[in-house]
Amino acid sequence: MTAAESRLPLIYAGLALLLAFAVLGSLMLGYTIYMPGELWNALASSGTSEADTVIREYRLPRAMMAPLVGAALGVAGVMVQTLSRNRIASPDTLGLNAGASLAVVAASVGLGISSLAVLSLVAAAGAFLTSILVFALAATAGGLSPLRIVLVGVTFAALMNAMVEVILTVNEAELQQLLFWLSGAFVDRPLSLVARNIPLLALGGVMAAMLARPLDALQTDDATAQSLGAPIRVIRIASFVAVALLTGASVAMAGPVGFVGLVVPHAARALVGARHGEKLVAAALIGAVYTTAADILARFVIYPTEAPVGAITAVVGAGLLLVLLRRRAA
Amino acid sequence: MDKALSGLKVDTLSVAYGAHLAVDAISLTIPKGKITVLAGPNGCGKSTLLRAIRRLHAAKTGRVLLGETDIGKMREKEIAREIGLLAQSPSAPEDMRVEELVRLGRYPHQAMLQPWSKDDAAAVEDAMFGTGVGHLRDRRLGSLSGGQLQRAWIAMVLAQQTDIVCLDEPVNHLDMAHQIDCLDLVSRLNREHGRTVVLVLHDLNLAARYADLLVFMKDGGIVSAGSPHQLMTEEQIASVFGIQCRVIEDPVHDRPLCIPMRNSSPRFEVQG
Repeated sequence: MTAAESRLPLIYAGLALLLAFAVLGSLMLGYTIYMPGELWNALASSGTSEADTVIREYRLPRAMMAPLVGAALGVAGVMVQTLSRNRIASPDTLGLNAGASLAVVAASVGLGISSLAVLSLVAAAGAFLTSILVFALAATAGGLSPLRIVLVGVTFAALMNAMVEVILTVNEAELQQLLFWLSGAFVDRPLSLVARNIPLLALGGVMAAMLARPLDALQTDDATAQSLGAPIRVIRIASFVAVALLTGASVAMAGPVGFVGLVVPHAARALVGARHGEKLVAAALIGAVYTTAADILARFVIYPTEAPVGAITAVVGAGLLLVLLRRRAA
Repeated sequence: MDKALSGLKVDTLSVAYGAHLAVDAISLTIPKGKITVLAGPNGCGKSTLLRAIRRLHAAKTGRVLLGETDIGKMREKEIAREIGLLAQSPSAPEDMRVEELVRLGRYPHQAMLQPWSKDDAAAVEDAMFGTGVGHLRDRRLGSLSGGQLQRAWIAMVLAQQTDIVCLDEPVNHLDMAHQIDCLDLVSRLNREHGRTVVLVLHDLNLAARYADLLVFMKDGGIVSAGSPHQLMTEEQIASVFGIQCRVIEDPVHDRPLCIPMRNSSPRFEVQG
């Protein structure tokens, strides 16, 4: 048993406790502050007071969505970093968020779609299509080398972000409304959006769990991973699918929430070590806590207006990353 | 482990990189429980042959037989339980700990969601103990010296518990003391645990010192194979390596010792 292993139960319990506090905080804190008693009343009964409505219709969806999105992005981040053997890679690096953004902007500006439900589907489709495109290009000729995956992903991310900016510059009228979506947010999202994306998250999560050990082997060079008996091509394809599912569902719910997939894997690695069985669980918990806390913060930094949560995760994440890098844990 | 499976035979095997045949219709029987050393000049195909024995390269023609089984038809994990391979300059994250690396050796023995077993734990402990890295188990790979790191990698291959162990230039970046240290370790594994070892070595004198069967390769083919005393002659070495030398008896190890003298076909001309 390694030293880190004996601490595992404590680490998991600590993170779970933090998550419980974060979710409770997410329900309580905001423009109006509700006490636990009021929460209980609203969630347990079917009262129709203003407090009941706000808690059920506004606070509950985001208190569920933020941890789910954070967990999904944390897990996807760990997988992308192993897949690309690159510690500064994340789902953004694969161009998935850029693909979702482009799809949403194109659908909104080009087709005049404004329904949130439809746009969220469009976002997921954009992320999936991008992952297929990046994967297909990375797989040709060079045969899915980690470097190729990153190069193709970064190229597409840059290209699609540029296209988003061009479209928005030309259609200034849409800018205001889309800009908020493009930074990621949990505000004003219905519970049905969570329900619709949970199957995708569950599938992605199960795939990640099944890939934990193969991903351990994939941390070594190709020759070593292969001689350990790891079918590296199959592992890469399956990981890609899992990352696309997790990121696609996240983007559909909250838009592109940046930096979570980049920072959380570093924290998870520093806390539990290199093995994916532990690292993926820790990343899910840390990502959930981090995103939920960021969503609470987003309600207060420019109070009474809401800030986009993606801006918070980016600012805090950059700071965290610098601290981790200084400690050489990253 | 099925002992009947452990005999290894290379049967008119060819491996191609594009149009270039890196291994050209080679046949070779790897003796069970012995140390076989593949030697030859750069680009002779020795590493490719070693990797093809572990099916890291597909055979263009011919096959590699493990007992009666064509390894081309085996499943990935099945081969990995029979043949271990330490790649040339392997890599793993610098912040991975030694024990985490050694545990990777258990990969072919584990089903997808099967928990870590007593056998797994015992194999990892044995491997770390046998290679003397037990006290380094919580150290990060990036903090190890070259010799310690190579021991950790060998421990990973040992934890795989294969009858056949292939090592591709395992002493490449090590100083003299660690070269001997590493190869003594390999030869102990062979003698004490009866593992069949296949090594690719650059240094002819180290090859002669540790090989039971020495194989000279050139241009993708085998020039000769036999005991070090049979192979290490001045004529053989001149024709395989293109270097004139004197071969004397190693006064300590009862093995031939090659003293290189002049390159018979110089690759670098000194100007002026």
